[in-house]
Amino acid sequence: MVSAINTLSRAPTSLHKPHRRVVGYFWGLAATTLCTLITWPLRTQIGPANILMIFLLGVFFVAIRFGRGPSILASLQSAGAFAFFYAPPIFSFAVSDTEHLIGLAVMLIVAVVTSSLMEALRSQAAVAAQRERRASTLYRLSKELAGTRQEADVIAAGIRHIHAEFGSANTLLFPNAQGRLHGPEDNPLPNSLPEMDPAMAQRVFDKGQPLGTGTDSDSEETVLYWPLVGSERTLGVWVMALPANRSLSTEEQTLLDLFLHQIVQSLERVRATEQARCAAIRMEAETLRNSLLSAISHDLRTPLSTLVGASGTLAEDDGHLDAERRRKLVRAIHEDAQRMSDLTHKILDMARLEAGKVVLNRQWYALEEIIGSALRRMRKQLGNRPVAVDLDDGLTLVYVDAVLMQQVLVNLLENAVKYTLEASPIEIRAALSPELLTLSVADQGPGIPEEFRHQIFEKFFRIHPEAPQSGAGLGLAICRAIVNAHGGWIRAESRIGGGTVFRLDLPLTETPPRIEPENEISSLS
Amino acid sequence: MMEIRPVILVIEDDPHLRMFLNTCLSGHGWTVVTAETGTDGLASARSAKPDLVILDLGLPDMDGVEVVERLRKRSEIPLIILSARNHETDITQALDVGADDYLTKPFSTAELVARIRALLRRALQRPWGPPRDVFQAGELKVELTRRKVFLAEREIHLTPIEYRLLTALIAHAGLVVTHRQLLNAVWGPAHIEHSHYVRIYMGQLRHKLEADPARPRYLLTEAGVGYRLCDED
Repeated sequence: MVSAINTLSRAPTSLHKPHRRVVGYFWGLAATTLCTLITWPLRTQIGPANILMIFLLGVFFVAIRFGRGPSILASLQSAGAFAFFYAPPIFSFAVSDTEHLIGLAVMLIVAVVTSSLMEALRSQAAVAAQRERRASTLYRLSKELAGTRQEADVIAAGIRHIHAEFGSANTLLFPNAQGRLHGPEDNPLPNSLPEMDPAMAQRVFDKGQPLGTGTDSDSEETVLYWPLVGSERTLGVWVMALPANRSLSTEEQTLLDLFLHQIVQSLERVRATEQARCAAIRMEAETLRNSLLSAISHDLRTPLSTLVGASGTLAEDDGHLDAERRRKLVRAIHEDAQRMSDLTHKILDMARLEAGKVVLNRQWYALEEIIGSALRRMRKQLGNRPVAVDLDDGLTLVYVDAVLMQQVLVNLLENAVKYTLEASPIEIRAALSPELLTLSVADQGPGIPEEFRHQIFEKFFRIHPEAPQSGAGLGLAICRAIVNAHGGWIRAESRIGGGTVFRLDLPLTETPPRIEPENEISSLS
Repeated sequence: MMEIRPVILVIEDDPHLRMFLNTCLSGHGWTVVTAETGTDGLASARSAKPDLVILDLGLPDMDGVEVVERLRKRSEIPLIILSARNHETDITQALDVGADDYLTKPFSTAELVARIRALLRRALQRPWGPPRDVFQAGELKVELTRRKVFLAEREIHLTPIEYRLLTALIAHAGLVVTHRQLLNAVWGPAHIEHSHYVRIYMGQLRHKLEADPARPRYLLTEAGVGYRLCDED
């Protein structure tokens, strides 16, 4: 269990202390030695009182820099050095002058007082620095959480920040619908906790009170269970395993509480957003279903009545119908069946695209080929109508789902055929730039009024719903869905000289594959 | 002399479609045997000795691709599959395991009859007729023995790969050939995943053989499935 916890490099002061202390005492000794060396040549010029001052200065510096122990050492040593070298009798530790004894006592007091003052100051500064650091980590956490949009991101950010602050391995347990906690199903995040006591977590979740295990000194690690108390209910339990010999001070517990509070707030925020989004989607699906139903009922019932009526007439005919009449009925059945077939295809295509399950089967196709197969599928409807095809380079490879792109072209051509006169020409153009393929299908029909140019791509939208040539209003919606799935966009423009241009832009993001020169391949086989 | 009427086995679970196919094909002078399920169909294929099979891929009892595989294990009988549109993967799979051609529902009678004719014609040529030495369709003429290609009497120079691609299509003239089958025939099994090879060379071939490569007359694309060499004038 311990191995799962990342190595902890917090509390550097405690780790560095022994080393620092040795250095301090060394400097304590060195300062005295230095003072002795400096004052020795000057002993004839300046009096013992001033020499004492220099020693005092040395002790003072040691006290400031290295604290009590080294400064006391320095003052004692200074006292010895002064007594030995300067206070008469020289070269003896005896001090005859009371004046010097007072000086030495003052030195000792200065050392103690200064060093305790400095130590108090230092610890205050350390506390302040730590507070500032915590405030800034808290700020960083809330800043990162504020940018999250998904629950998983909130959890990841929370785990990362809590690990950084407390060095703990963490995990977050959420309840299922029955209120039983379960662990994360996905791959564990970095610094997550692999094992814990589920019963304990459940208890914490039910009671809403934090608990901890292994707080006694001999256990390897401390595992804490903190409930994530939200505004309405407990959202889950935060489990954190602290590394060996680490426990949380009261101050740290407050900080942890703040952290978890932030995380809870963010979790509640993203959950509320997600709920709102789901509701919006449900509503949209509802609207779609309603409009789909009304479209189906209108567009399918009409041909169905013909089918049922005409075929019924034929089935019950006992020889009263003449050949001409029968032929008419049969033709009506055939035409309406065809219409229904087209509609069914469109509705199914749209439903498939809407379901969001469309996985594009993108491959490299020559542009010409896609246009060619669309024209071929439309050859009956196009008849002898002039269709001009103008491609920069028909052999250019594009990375698309050919079946779907062909569908886009077929739908656009169908539209052009439906809304223009029989001999009215159609133009298909392709222009290539390094980043973009622009395909356009232009007709010379009545054009689309400005105000409808966006709406025509909406599902079931028809400018003249009752017009005989109107379909279900899905063709262009399908085009848009397919083009969007390819990362492109489609729009309708008016053609100079009358008519409509449907223009679709496809970004060319992939580099076409290189094919080995032919002689290499042919020599292989 | 009495003409021998070819026997067509229709394996289709929908009774109306079965009835329609029966009526339509009988009307064209073929003898029709029907089966409702894959199991029945496989049994009929053994007992009725049909000359051609029409198989719906969506059968209630068996996967259509499996029926194709099991039929192919026993014979080279011509096989047309029927499938819904948007099922290109199933179609391609069935073709790759040996089906000869396909139609998507709803299909027109004329299309179906044309496919059946093309397949029956080829089946007649295959076992008894000599290997084809000239292929001709419209203005395209390929002399397979001399390895020469003509378009409106003018010789067209093809690279070795282009020529192999063309002959692979000629071997199945009028029928669909999948990307996989073409890759295997022209580049060999090692290049079976490089489907863009076929498309690149097909593009080049079209530029050499078609008057308008964007509206091909001979080298037709079956979107999502493969290619078909049109063999009608």
